[in-house]
Amino acid sequence: MTTDQAPPATKNRIPFQTFILFLLPIILLAGVILLFLNTGGGLDLKSPAPIENLIIERYHLERGHIELHVQNTGPAELTISQVIINDAVMPFEVSPGASIPRLGKADIRVNYSWTAGEAYGVRIFTSNAIPFDVDIPVAFVTPKPEAKTFLSFTLIGLYVGVIPIFLGIFWLPALRTLGKQWMTFLMAVTIGLLLFLGLDTLVEAMDQAAGVASAYQGIGLIGIGAVATYMLLDMVGNSRSSDRSEISQRLSIAWRIATGIGIHNLGEGLAIGAAYNLGEISLGTFLVVGFIIQNITEGLGIISPILRDRPRLGQLAWLGLIGGGPAIIGAWIGGYAPSPFLAVLFLAVGTGAIFQVAVEIAKMVQRDAARQPMPGFVFSGVITGMLMLWITGVFIK
Amino acid sequence: MKNKFTRRDFLKIGGAGLLTAAGTAALSSVNTNHNPGRNNHLIQTPAPMDHDGLPGTGDVDYERNGFNPSDILYDFDYGKVSTLPNGQTLREYEIVAVNKTFEIVPGIDFPAWSYNGRIPGPTIRATEGDRIRIRFINGSDHPHSMHFHGFHPATMDGVPGTGPGGMVNPAGEFYYEFDAEPFGLHLYHCHIFPLARHIAKGLYGTFIVDPKGGRPPVDREMVMVMSGFDIDFDDTNDFYAVNGIPFHYQNHPIQIKVGETVRIYLVNILEFDLLNSFHLHANFFHYYPTGTSLTPAEFTDTIIQGQAQRGILEFSYKYPGMYMFHAHVTEFAELGWNGMFEVLL
Repeated sequence: MTTDQAPPATKNRIPFQTFILFLLPIILLAGVILLFLNTGGGLDLKSPAPIENLIIERYHLERGHIELHVQNTGPAELTISQVIINDAVMPFEVSPGASIPRLGKADIRVNYSWTAGEAYGVRIFTSNAIPFDVDIPVAFVTPKPEAKTFLSFTLIGLYVGVIPIFLGIFWLPALRTLGKQWMTFLMAVTIGLLLFLGLDTLVEAMDQAAGVASAYQGIGLIGIGAVATYMLLDMVGNSRSSDRSEISQRLSIAWRIATGIGIHNLGEGLAIGAAYNLGEISLGTFLVVGFIIQNITEGLGIISPILRDRPRLGQLAWLGLIGGGPAIIGAWIGGYAPSPFLAVLFLAVGTGAIFQVAVEIAKMVQRDAARQPMPGFVFSGVITGMLMLWITGVFIK
Repeated sequence: MKNKFTRRDFLKIGGAGLLTAAGTAALSSVNTNHNPGRNNHLIQTPAPMDHDGLPGTGDVDYERNGFNPSDILYDFDYGKVSTLPNGQTLREYEIVAVNKTFEIVPGIDFPAWSYNGRIPGPTIRATEGDRIRIRFINGSDHPHSMHFHGFHPATMDGVPGTGPGGMVNPAGEFYYEFDAEPFGLHLYHCHIFPLARHIAKGLYGTFIVDPKGGRPPVDREMVMVMSGFDIDFDDTNDFYAVNGIPFHYQNHPIQIKVGETVRIYLVNILEFDLLNSFHLHANFFHYYPTGTSLTPAEFTDTIIQGQAQRGILEFSYKYPGMYMFHAHVTEFAELGWNGMFEVLL
């Protein structure tokens, strides 16, 4: 078929007839929905018992009272009727109201003179006598956004994110003296590191997805976040690679590694902040030392593509900040306003970014290997990278 | 964090989700008795938070429930009295088993089975040797029966396999007829399988047989039936109560007077838990286990009762004020089995 046979009008405009044909199924759909809503379509959709779902997103402890932040993730409105703490029926208040609409949120406040360091079990009964439980494994005053806790969370992020990455970057002068083969080996190590971190981030995202209201489909969110980030970075990288020197390409990859690792560290900060908030971890010296040892390898990964170049000091500082700084932001968010939804989204983005950079570096390694055959270097590098994180992980598991 | 948020945890959380789903599914198969209209009525909101932070609830809708524990306390049913040709006193009762939804704590309805629309059922009271005739009508959608503790022929035992009175089908009826003996404090309950469920759903009541000539007179007599409510049907009690409504006598103290002699007919029909107890504050009582003797067995302030055990308590207060009485199985107290005597001058 030749194009000149088609009338010129159809080239850019959709003709009225096509428009109507396109609309027809939608109109029919509206009709079917209307019919269904009015008649039930002959289906008996009434369930014999009410189905309710309530997520206790987080709890907040202050002297003399306990506050629960809940979300109704069931198919219909539900009503909070009783609250039982450690087998005692407690008077309570719900704001904005005891009846919570679908996907609505509410705060339940109970006056309760809890004791620091003890465990509490809270049971919420809805009006349909359906119980929802939450455990408070260790009771202590929930950190408030004030100067003191702000500083603690900042320090946490500094120790687990910023400091180790800069320590890794300080290897640059020493590594620069290495031969080309060893630089390629280090890039292979970085691939290993990134693959390990990517998997770790993905699993973390899935962990968090379990806490997301089912209506928001946490796993689907991971897919969208990861795939979109991967393809977006790929698109940006490819569009630029043609008109750029190899040096600026390598620097661009370093930026992207820093970004990917940065988002990974944001997730790490989120989890630390949230876990600290729940009293689930004490950041002992051992754990912090473990994080420094593990994350120092991340700094190494960031500089591996630019070993043969001469990056400016300012660039290196930014690379370190982008890679490590988000741990601080993550600790703040996780500590003050943990949100599983945001955490999943961040971690999914991190997963996509990390895997994309790993593939990008793999292409560089392939180019190097084509110029100069180095049997075993790539394999041993990737495995070394993965083993490095696996072994240093022993300190923080 | 990593030491906590592991993949195993993820599986665990996933597993818990599955369990919850399974629980909900189980509920949907069990809860067929839920009144479909129950969501439509205005749910009474819980009482505003008490600033003392003490356990308890607000009031339920007594009018809709159709009974009030404050009345049940003094409500002894002597039946329709007549004399038989042989001179024996005849006491006639009519008891109907009905499905009824009660608001047992503010905002939560319990789809109960009840005798005459109340929990506990009527307190049947007779004198030793009286003839009891009960017309039992099953107005419910499940088979039920009335099984009395006491002497009677097997056909009047209300247990499946003992004749037509062993299992009365929906819309059916049966006359239970026997002599009230021995004297003491007894009880009656449904005896249809599954037994624990039929009892826990509310089919129980007190059966008092006075000795000929009666017990020594006292100023005030009360009946207290201790029970529990398993509102989510997991065979674990969620709330505990005396005379049907948790925390009722905490919210509405029982008023008595200094020096007044008080007699309590105390019955334990708690299912799912092995023991129940009664503890009286700042006082001691004479205790007559099962009420089958006129001589007290014990002078104490705390007694333990197993399932279907019962006994009579006698005491009086020396000083005015508010005195607590509750299960000294203290976890029951904060889940509803708690009350107050207000002793007036």
